[in-house]
Amino acid sequence: MTSSTAAVLGLVAMAVVSLGAGLFARRWARTTSDFMVAARAVPPRVNAAAISGEYLSAASFLGIAGLVMQFGYDVLWYPVCYAGGYLLLLLFIAGPLRRFGAYTIPDFAEGRFDSPRFRRLAVILVLIIGFFYALPQMKAAGLTVQTASGLPYGVGIGIVAVVVVAGVVGGGMRGITFVQSLQFAVKLFAISVPAFLLLIHFSGTGVPFARGAGGLERLTTTTRFQVTPGELWQIPGNTEAHVAHPTSFGWQKQKTAASTGAPSAGFEGGTSPTVTVNHSHDHLRRLEGAGQLPRGAITWRSTDTVTIVRGQPAPFGSETPASTTASWIAPFGPLAGGTGHPLLFTYSLILAILLGTIGLPHILVRFYTNPDAKASRRTALLVLVLLGSFYIWPPVLGALGRSYDPSLYGTNLTDAVVLILPSQLGAGWLGQILSAVVAAGAFAAFSSTLSGLLVSLGGALGHDVYGRWLRPSAGPTARRRAFQLSALGAGLAAAALGLLVEQFDISVLVGWAFAIAASSFFPLLVLGIWWRRLTTLGASVGVALGGGIATCSIITTMVATVSSPLAAFLAQHSSLAVILAQPAIVTVPLAFGCMVGISLLRPTPPAGVSAKMVQLHAPELLGLRREYIPD
Amino acid sequence: MSQQLPGAPEGEAENSASTGLLEFEEQTEVGELYLKALMRRQGRLSLGVALVFIGFLLVQPMLAWWWPGWGALRIFGIPVSWLVLGVASYPLLIWLGSIYVRRAEEVDDEFTDLLS
Repeated sequence: MTSSTAAVLGLVAMAVVSLGAGLFARRWARTTSDFMVAARAVPPRVNAAAISGEYLSAASFLGIAGLVMQFGYDVLWYPVCYAGGYLLLLLFIAGPLRRFGAYTIPDFAEGRFDSPRFRRLAVILVLIIGFFYALPQMKAAGLTVQTASGLPYGVGIGIVAVVVVAGVVGGGMRGITFVQSLQFAVKLFAISVPAFLLLIHFSGTGVPFARGAGGLERLTTTTRFQVTPGELWQIPGNTEAHVAHPTSFGWQKQKTAASTGAPSAGFEGGTSPTVTVNHSHDHLRRLEGAGQLPRGAITWRSTDTVTIVRGQPAPFGSETPASTTASWIAPFGPLAGGTGHPLLFTYSLILAILLGTIGLPHILVRFYTNPDAKASRRTALLVLVLLGSFYIWPPVLGALGRSYDPSLYGTNLTDAVVLILPSQLGAGWLGQILSAVVAAGAFAAFSSTLSGLLVSLGGALGHDVYGRWLRPSAGPTARRRAFQLSALGAGLAAAALGLLVEQFDISVLVGWAFAIAASSFFPLLVLGIWWRRLTTLGASVGVALGGGIATCSIITTMVATVSSPLAAFLAQHSSLAVILAQPAIVTVPLAFGCMVGISLLRPTPPAGVSAKMVQLHAPELLGLRREYIPD
Repeated sequence: MSQQLPGAPEGEAENSASTGLLEFEEQTEVGELYLKALMRRQGRLSLGVALVFIGFLLVQPMLAWWWPGWGALRIFGIPVSWLVLGVASYPLLIWLGSIYVRRAEEVDDEFTDLLS
């Protein structure tokens, strides 16, 4: 928790630039078309940068590096599948959906199946996924402002909510397109330059892979940890510690998993405490002045400041299972290996992220800003290039974090490793500038994704709930006003909910949004576009079951983190626990199965399906096109 | 869009209409056949490219599972497993994407030529 003026300056600069650019772009945003699809006047390069800017959220900028630092190799699936999802989007969705002229997934649901009821179902899921995705962005906002300035968590959320809502309400899509493409450039710069300089500074690319097998990460600076009663630590090797007051702790020898150090690494992102401590079996120990923390799991019994000097093994807090560097480097390490079913877990994770990208509600909107399918495909390809050049870097920072600031394990601040690591370059100007740069990058990350989400949520609420159900007769001005009010409301709601998720890991919530999207909208879009026999009934049941079961199993996992009977039950049924925490491997095939099965059993394809297939697949040059939102 | 009444104002589509396009517009059996052929070509192309990448991903956990040495293999001190997954994936993605875009545009162009 370093209070750094430079970092605060970086944040303020980015906020001012974002707000200024958004308001500047306001002069162009006059019509509904300007607001919703930027009047399709955006060149593919700017559009691709804006899509990438919007897609690279806080989970990508902060979360991946933090997770790599915690869990090592297994986390590499995240960035690769985040980017790979875009390839699938390019292959199956980008062209046809642009031709179809569907602006959002609900538009597609209604347009393809002629069913306003199905549209409502889709709108509900858009709202669920959108809010799930907005929460981690809010958490990142709070965390970044807190890390940079020391201000309370809620203040950061408030500031970001104001800046983002003002940009969206003021400039609409045209405004944020401009801002988001700028923000992509900031993010790429802010992740690659510090990673590169830190690699040079720490001389050599082999780090931390240079550690001998079974090596322990040792503190690089003498660190003071604040501990509170009940706080769990895992001590990977006997550690000398100094305490300010006489302090006691309960100690449990590590069980059989001691060699890998991962007793029951929990769910995706590992928020759940990974050590279950049975207090009655604790050996009570007492420290006065200095003493030894024995290897194993300990529970602090009092509030104190524990000082551990440089060179001692780094303790692990409750959020990260203790792991040796060897198990951290190897596949099926503490993340997948800890579940007891590493292959199942890994495949389910790959499915969720790879397929979920397509179903995210704020992604498709962007493709409708292209003039035609050809531009849409080329934009998607450019996005792949931009994403690839970004995603190489976060794991580098995470790996450096393991070697060069392992104290973050004990403080449970691994999510902030990207923000904190540059200060390792020292208090000189370089460290200061880099701190400012990464803070600006983090701001760009959560604010650009939030902007996109607010446009989608505002679209779903204003365009659908207001413009179609409540007042279908509303004119263009009223619709624009409704869009702005909805975006404002959605922003406030997300900020309020964001206050509640401080204890959740950034990537956990994001992973859940992906899992729900993969189990509902992904099969809907792929089958809806490529299989003409898909019926309305089949599609509705598939979306409702897939999305519903995924949502329920995720909520069960969330409840298990606060309910010990449920947690104990899940601990006994570990394969069930894996599936509940990462449901895609079951719910994606289930949704597909429902759609195909019901459509074949009751073959009543919607009327005019041939015309729709023509619209989806016939090249534009044939001139058979109709715009959903006219220019 | 396909149900224009006779005598209704003619859209752009009608101006450039040829026999193939008319079949297509009016959804005759021949038009259906054209469309099915187009979808089959595009679908096969997309599926093929997707399977290459998905195969590349799905094979890696299997490799690590059956051959524990996979995680220990190193080049210049960096584990090969990290380089393959965390670095090589991106050029592969871009390469596959560019192949697809080129082929998909060719298919669309051929189809347009065929009809008009």
